[in-house]
Amino acid sequence: MTPVAAGMDIGSTTAKCILLRGSEVVGKSLNPVGVDIVRDAERAFELALADAHLERADVGFVTGTGYGRYKVQFGQLAVTEISCHAKGANFLFPKTHLVVDIGGQDTKAIKVGDLGEVVDFAMNDKCAAGTGRFLEVCANALGFDIGDIGPLSLQARHPVKVSSTCTVFAESEVTSLVSRGKERNDILAGLHGSIVNRSLSLMQRVGIEAEVTFTGGVSRNEGMVRAMESRLGQRVNVSPLSQYIGAIGAALMGQERLEAAAQ
Amino acid sequence: MITCGLDIGAGSTKGVLLEDGRTLRATALVPTRGNPNAAVRAVLERMVEEENLLPGEIEYVCTTGFGRYGYLERDLQVSDITASARGAVFLFPGTRHIVDVGTQSSRAIGATETGRVTRFKMNEKCAAGAGRFIERCSKYLQVPIEEMGPKALTAAQPKMISSVCAVLAETEIINNVAEGVPIQDMLMGIFLSLAQRTQSLMRYVGVQPEVTLVGGLVHNPGMVRALENTTGLNVNHSPTAHHAAAIGSALLGYQRLQKLRAAPAVGG
Repeated sequence: MTPVAAGMDIGSTTAKCILLRGSEVVGKSLNPVGVDIVRDAERAFELALADAHLERADVGFVTGTGYGRYKVQFGQLAVTEISCHAKGANFLFPKTHLVVDIGGQDTKAIKVGDLGEVVDFAMNDKCAAGTGRFLEVCANALGFDIGDIGPLSLQARHPVKVSSTCTVFAESEVTSLVSRGKERNDILAGLHGSIVNRSLSLMQRVGIEAEVTFTGGVSRNEGMVRAMESRLGQRVNVSPLSQYIGAIGAALMGQERLEAAAQ
Repeated sequence: MITCGLDIGAGSTKGVLLEDGRTLRATALVPTRGNPNAAVRAVLERMVEEENLLPGEIEYVCTTGFGRYGYLERDLQVSDITASARGAVFLFPGTRHIVDVGTQSSRAIGATETGRVTRFKMNEKCAAGAGRFIERCSKYLQVPIEEMGPKALTAAQPKMISSVCAVLAETEIINNVAEGVPIQDMLMGIFLSLAQRTQSLMRYVGVQPEVTLVGGLVHNPGMVRALENTTGLNVNHSPTAHHAAAIGSALLGYQRLQKLRAAPAVGG
């Protein structure tokens, strides 16, 4: 039987694990990352194994990626998340040439070649503006759960522009907009628009392509997907597996190693 | 002749009364709390009461700061850059460089011996490097703001912060807490990282001694030490320097009033 390759994407906020056999995802898991990253990575692996009804011995190769990739102590390979996102996006959407990845703590635009290789990328990992953290902080300030704000933003009637770039200042701005009687949905639409603008400038740096794939935790937010599409004037690819794309790419890298070893 | 200077800031509203452009008669401070008008009223009431003045005895009111346009009964408004420089030179006549770390923005200002601004650089886009960052650290480290400075002075091995973003620094500090880094080391690291951000503003302007710190951080010995260690310079500061911009605006108000009185009446 084809051996299973595991891809572990240890992000700043969540740990994702994908178990891949050939081109089939046989198991996956996602759990929050806390202070003990080594343990959280271990747990993500165990959860995915349980999901696939597999044992550790069934897994032929483990590849780590993401911010915490070196904390995957049982892994055989660590690859940057940029390469993994490119590879994973190419696997799900073979015609995609631009990946925009908005994670919990950073945002990247990656230009992808025909074979899923990285051609160019631009990244913001210095500042929380334009990342999932920005949305989280502002959602809290409005008293919403992060999971609810996307659909609510789509109900906005008169989107309010949020002028602060800095997350901390945006938080105060949101509070003062509420006290001035602005609708919370309208403010949410403004916040989503602000993130889209930040990621757009990264995308423009590498060049916008006909087929764009949106990945990372923020791509699960429907309001963000719509805001991105209307700003770009084109549809963007989103998959239920979008949040796992880095992990899928990592598993694919492992698979290549297994194949090379078998020959 | 009594002139009043009001510095309506994002965090607090400061007021001073100045007699004949020379003597500081009263100072007051209240939190702005998003309501500048209420804050201004409270500041004025407190000073008038303290000095047993009749409301009419304040002859001229000059506002400055973020909320300077909000007080409609003002006679004059001036920029906080101009006002801070004037106020700093009033308090420390040797001042040629002013550092003002406010709640929401920070600035470095070069000034002449008369307190005229030669050059300045400001950061108002980002909370890293502003007082808001300290307020947030106080909250999640659960150390009251006024205790942060003295505690930081006991640091043995300051733990520097690598993030340049206030939000990402928060995560970094929480990780440091989990790793058992002593609180005083984290506090000093916070002030040192703020001092580094301030230093880059100062360099842009060109540092010339004497350097005077104005604004709320004058009460924070940790920040003063961090700034002195980072720049290698002595930093003038005093509790009154918290009111430097208000003092400067009272002075500018005084000068304007004198000019108005000296000018011949128009139209007889």
